[in-house]
Amino acid sequence: MEKLIKNNTIYYLLISISILFLAIGVTLYMGEYFYGLIFIFLSILIYLLANLNSNKKDGFKEFLKQKFKVILYPLIGIFVSLIVGGIIMIISGYNPFEAYAALFYGGFYKNWGTAVINATPLIFTGLAIAFAFQANLFNIGAEGQYYIGAMVAAFLGLYIKLPPIFSLLIIFLVGSFIAGIYNIIPAWLKVKTGASEVITTMMFAHIARYFSPIFIRSFGGDPTAGSKHPYVTDKILETNRLPTMKSFLPNADYRIHTGILIAIVLAIVVYYILFYTKLGYDIRAVGKNINAAKMQGINTGKIIFITLIISGMLAGFSGVSQITGLEHKLAQELNAGYGWNGISVALLASNDPIAVVFTALLWGALDAGGQYMQRNIGISGAIVEIIKGIILFLVVARYIYNYFYNKYFKKEEFVSAEERV
Amino acid sequence: MEEYILEMKNITKKFPKVIANEDVTINLKKGEILALLGENGAGKSTLMNILYGLYKPTSGEIILDGEKVQFHSPKDAIKHNLGMVHQHFMLVENLTVTENIILGEEPGNTGFINYNLARKKVKELSKKFKLEIDPDEKIENLSVGLQQRVEILKALYRKAKILILDEPTAVLTPQEIEKLFEVIKDLVKTGVSVIIITHKLEEVLDIADRVYILRRGKLVGERNTKGVTKNELANMMVGRDVVLTVTRTPKKRGEKPTLKINNLVVYNSKKLKAVNNVSLEVYPGEIVGIAGVDGNGQTELAEAIIGFRDSYEGQIILDNYNLPINDKTQKNSLNSILNKLFFENNFVKGRLDRGISIVPADRQRHGLILEMQVAENLILGYQGKGKFWEHNILKWKNIYNFSDELIKKYDIRTPNSKNIASNLSGGNQQKVILAREFSKTPKFALIVQPTRGLDVGAIEYIHKRILEMRDANCAILLISLELEEIFSLSDRILVMYNGQITKEFKTEETDQMEVGFYMMGGDKTKVKEA
Repeated sequence: MEKLIKNNTIYYLLISISILFLAIGVTLYMGEYFYGLIFIFLSILIYLLANLNSNKKDGFKEFLKQKFKVILYPLIGIFVSLIVGGIIMIISGYNPFEAYAALFYGGFYKNWGTAVINATPLIFTGLAIAFAFQANLFNIGAEGQYYIGAMVAAFLGLYIKLPPIFSLLIIFLVGSFIAGIYNIIPAWLKVKTGASEVITTMMFAHIARYFSPIFIRSFGGDPTAGSKHPYVTDKILETNRLPTMKSFLPNADYRIHTGILIAIVLAIVVYYILFYTKLGYDIRAVGKNINAAKMQGINTGKIIFITLIISGMLAGFSGVSQITGLEHKLAQELNAGYGWNGISVALLASNDPIAVVFTALLWGALDAGGQYMQRNIGISGAIVEIIKGIILFLVVARYIYNYFYNKYFKKEEFVSAEERV
Repeated sequence: MEEYILEMKNITKKFPKVIANEDVTINLKKGEILALLGENGAGKSTLMNILYGLYKPTSGEIILDGEKVQFHSPKDAIKHNLGMVHQHFMLVENLTVTENIILGEEPGNTGFINYNLARKKVKELSKKFKLEIDPDEKIENLSVGLQQRVEILKALYRKAKILILDEPTAVLTPQEIEKLFEVIKDLVKTGVSVIIITHKLEEVLDIADRVYILRRGKLVGERNTKGVTKNELANMMVGRDVVLTVTRTPKKRGEKPTLKINNLVVYNSKKLKAVNNVSLEVYPGEIVGIAGVDGNGQTELAEAIIGFRDSYEGQIILDNYNLPINDKTQKNSLNSILNKLFFENNFVKGRLDRGISIVPADRQRHGLILEMQVAENLILGYQGKGKFWEHNILKWKNIYNFSDELIKKYDIRTPNSKNIASNLSGGNQQKVILAREFSKTPKFALIVQPTRGLDVGAIEYIHKRILEMRDANCAILLISLELEEIFSLSDRILVMYNGQITKEFKTEETDQMEVGFYMMGGDKTKVKEA
């Protein structure tokens, strides 16, 4: 008995160290300190070490097996799209190797900071859409919930005067809560009348988008200010801004803010909700087979309702983090597009919350690298959009893989009919 | 040799993971009724689908009238005078009989259909083959037996010389089956050859001249039906001695009924009474079987009992507790008000909590979540039970332990608990449902069509388990379209016709013919069947 406790103590100690290292590593890495990667590797190593003797090793293998497809499809998509992009570059007279070197150097090293900044709102909206997808709901209106979150954050940011921790907490909670509330009518229509959430949330997205200029003009929007965006709100109070990474990592890009860390933590929370709680179980059950879920006493209407609200809240976080972390003001910019891009990010991640973090970072890095490439090589950054499009196409069109897989690669294992029973 | 009109030589068909047919050779004589006998998954249907051009064989050849042929699609097969009636009819529900029969080969020219000519042709055809039918009736208004007749006519209209019938009796009543057999015997006299796919031994002996037995994709034998016994065929079919019926030991039922239904009326989507004034009682330790042809209100009855449907009148009483049937009868709690305003009322949960289990008819649609793990499927419906979650957090360790236990106990063939349910075979999927429902130790279990589409081995196993539940004093209501199943399991049999319980029998005091008679409405003159 004592031995067991001792073993368990060591086990939990190792796991704690592993988690600590992971947190340090991710923070450093996101703040452009690339040796953060070493911590991340160490963390994985310690995790494996801790599980070396337990039967959880099989669990890890099983985990990899399960996630195999989540990882494989995007990788194939990236590979193929790079080849196609390369062909386009050759046709238009550029050296693809040089261009790709610039793209990846720019995206993943030189302009990594920009990549992280780009990725932050995408992680939130990607999570929102992935979460709804788990219940077989398509929250296409994440864009609208983004604007609601942003507006609430701007409003509260202008007026709340409290110590930073409290005010930020209030802004985040209230902002996301109201963004979630914004989904009540689509949710109610979906449950009570069966109106498709695709249409209703999209319409609500437009309402929110075009409401934002009105909002801006009521809160300090000054047409005579002469800035590039004539219509912007006043800047939110200093105390209501998210701390930047630079405040504790001096070499980080001054624009990177701690929103990225919140996003990553939230991804883990969403993963936990989906796979380790009763609510998540119900959500997945409703998503995979609503009839069976109903037949087994799950209140499907309630689950759909809750899922849409939570999805709205996650998208709302995106707007809040963008205002309090990066922009500090709400500008009249009707094409933020984080909601729409969130759809791509979620699809690419096969609706896996953890994978959303990676795909959002990839999307951000491609954008950042594209800018770098355009500046240094002269190829239009539009090539990045083509690459993104092809990646997404190949990930979404899974049938293509299944077709080729069945045709050429499938090992012919024959099982007699008896074994099937 | 010379008289064979059809030979299939050394047919092999490989699917990914499965060999459906391996080196199968069969012959068909002119004017013969040939049966293909085998369990589900033995490869009968695959073999016939190859013949009909739906699949291409991996190897082997088909010789028709002494000529080697190769079919790329059913169109080719029809051109060579082959006709097939599938298990699930390929009819357009809201078109008339004539329109269905001529579909694809309409008489007339330049884009217009000559309906008069078509009707005449159909009438001639039905007269010639003694298949009476109203050519202007819509398919949706026809009974299953008549729909099958339309399918046969469709094949004959295309001048079929060889008619393939895939499980033709699966959906018919005994009377309809008799009628069908008469039709087939008449057909053969006109020179048509018939191949019947079946897994029912009696039918083979009743109608076929010759039988091929398939097992696990291989041909295990050929017999003339004269002089062969049921047991011999059964042995060949499953490769072991099967107990054709599970033994049901007599048991004294409990004193007080577990489930009591009073004057139940259920309306269907067209606001018509699908269940009309049904009253019944189920006692602990007995199985009550509801026999009836599909579509006589069984589905609606089942849905009302489990609370899947809220538009009904009457009472359903479980152990002296009146189950809520709609918003009005439900107690007003915060939850129910919220449900009314924002969500939807779910009456199932309350029933599950009170000890009702349900084995639904459509296991893939209502019973399982195919894309989820076996373990996740095994805890489905354990709403609010603390064993698997506490404060909303799942206890995966308990769940997997529970799942492993059930997999062992119910002999579910799966590599592990984390396997996705869609990877399992039909029989094992049903075992998952049974394991889940019976492990809840219900007071009352509603079991609908528990063995549909399963093979003999799985059926036997599932029947045994159901009887075990009965012996453990559970009250069981069995709704099945298979009379044999009703007879081998039930202690009492209720016949449902047109939404009403028309007759009650003790199983020992009746036989299949009598029950079948009442399933058709009791009085033959009332029956729509011509």
